[in-house]
Amino acid sequence: MANSKGFSSVIGTTFMVLVMMFLCTSVFMWTLSQNTIYNEAMKEKNQIEVDRLNEKVTASNVNYTVMGNVVSVEVVLENEGPVSVEIVSLWVIDATMNKHNFSSPLNINLKPGNITYLQGSKAINVTIVGSASLHQFSSWFVTARGNVVPSEREGGIIVAQVSAGIGSVAMDFTSFKYYNVSKVGSSYVLNNYPNGGSGYTVIQPSGKDVGIAFELCLTNFDPLKKEINLSSASVFWTLFPVLPTQPRGTMWYIVNVGDNGTIAGTFTTVTIPYGATTKVFFASAQDVNTGGFVPSLSSYTGTAPVNLALVGKIGDSAYGQNVPFVSIYIKK
Amino acid sequence: MKLKSSECLDMDLKKVWKLLHERRAVSEVVSSVILTGAVIAVSFVVLFWAQYRSSAYNEQYSEAMNADIARLKERLAFEYVFYGGGNLSVYLMNCGTIDNVTVQTVYVKDAAGAPIQVSSSITLMQFNRTQIADKDLDRGEEGYFVLSSVSLVAGKSYSVRVVTGRGSTFDHTFIA
Repeated sequence: MANSKGFSSVIGTTFMVLVMMFLCTSVFMWTLSQNTIYNEAMKEKNQIEVDRLNEKVTASNVNYTVMGNVVSVEVVLENEGPVSVEIVSLWVIDATMNKHNFSSPLNINLKPGNITYLQGSKAINVTIVGSASLHQFSSWFVTARGNVVPSEREGGIIVAQVSAGIGSVAMDFTSFKYYNVSKVGSSYVLNNYPNGGSGYTVIQPSGKDVGIAFELCLTNFDPLKKEINLSSASVFWTLFPVLPTQPRGTMWYIVNVGDNGTIAGTFTTVTIPYGATTKVFFASAQDVNTGGFVPSLSSYTGTAPVNLALVGKIGDSAYGQNVPFVSIYIKK
Repeated sequence: MKLKSSECLDMDLKKVWKLLHERRAVSEVVSSVILTGAVIAVSFVVLFWAQYRSSAYNEQYSEAMNADIARLKERLAFEYVFYGGGNLSVYLMNCGTIDNVTVQTVYVKDAAGAPIQVSSSITLMQFNRTQIADKDLDRGEEGYFVLSSVSLVAGKSYSVRVVTGRGSTFDHTFIA
């Protein structure tokens, strides 16, 4: 006890040093944890910004159709970026009237590489009171990350616009084929399917239960980009100039053909989406849906001009079109 | 034996007497105890005070940090800015990662940056033209506000700056 002078000072100093160390350490550690939280938030923000910048969606082939006050926007959306994209709204401006409206929420999700065709029944409708077909329109999509995707009109020339006097379909003159039809069991088949022969020179078979079938490729280039559905009344018809005053004709009605070349006994509508090329077969002497399939042969030989009389629907409207197609030479 | 025990008793009494009357050593012990106690008491007071101060600092720092983080998470997308009939309609979407984004102030400036209108009384509306009940935009929510009596020249470029309640700013350029 005699040497305890300064003992309290030692205790006090030690205590104070411990207190200071404790406080400094706790404040430092806490500040560090707060900075970590901030850095995490910053990293998250950066990732969001990177994702936003990586969004690359194109809206092409836009087409505006006005019915009443409803502007129908048909467009092809393609996600060309590496991240999935959610489209939340579409804005449409009628620049002629300086009016606008939108469609939201759209909830269109595009994975990387996905293409969505918003055409026909999938077109997006936006109501703009007073709009008309001849007005100038512009539109854009907004993504969930806040990016704006402008809709772009086609840069190229639409074939159907060039041949506006013809109509909505284009024909491929190089792939025009014919087949001889024969009966196998109870079914009629296309011989040598799918190769066939060039449709321009037709060698007609002879015998019982035989006929001729024609295959041609039609492409839908409708300016309004609507889907075309061909009914059973569509016909491939020819005129043979037997006498100058007495042309004769032969007809081949549209049929369905299976993958193995068998002609179906009934007919289901042939659909040609916008921009798509579809093989169409004509083989029956009568409308399959009214009288069933009957093989058709030409009663005449020689040269004959060919016409396509197409009947059905385009979009929701009735459709009918007669197109001068090719000339064929039939021999027995 | 009796003599020895009485001697011992005497010695014990002497020790007690000494202890009671010679108190120099006792006062040193007491003073040391008092001093040490006082130092410890003061040290604890200092500890608690310092901890209180550091807690206050922590709280303040935490609030500032949380505000910064919340501001970081805010993002508004301008879907469309439309000027017509003297009214400027600004269509927004909250594409950030935080709810309750309010619009505090809106500045409209011309191409040179000169202010044309400043408005702090903003009423947020839903796209279906009903007022947004909670007066803010949650994540993914769309809304718009209208600034009335804005004088802009058609065909010229302007910018609109939206300042949120948390202090974030978002700019957009448009053609009137």
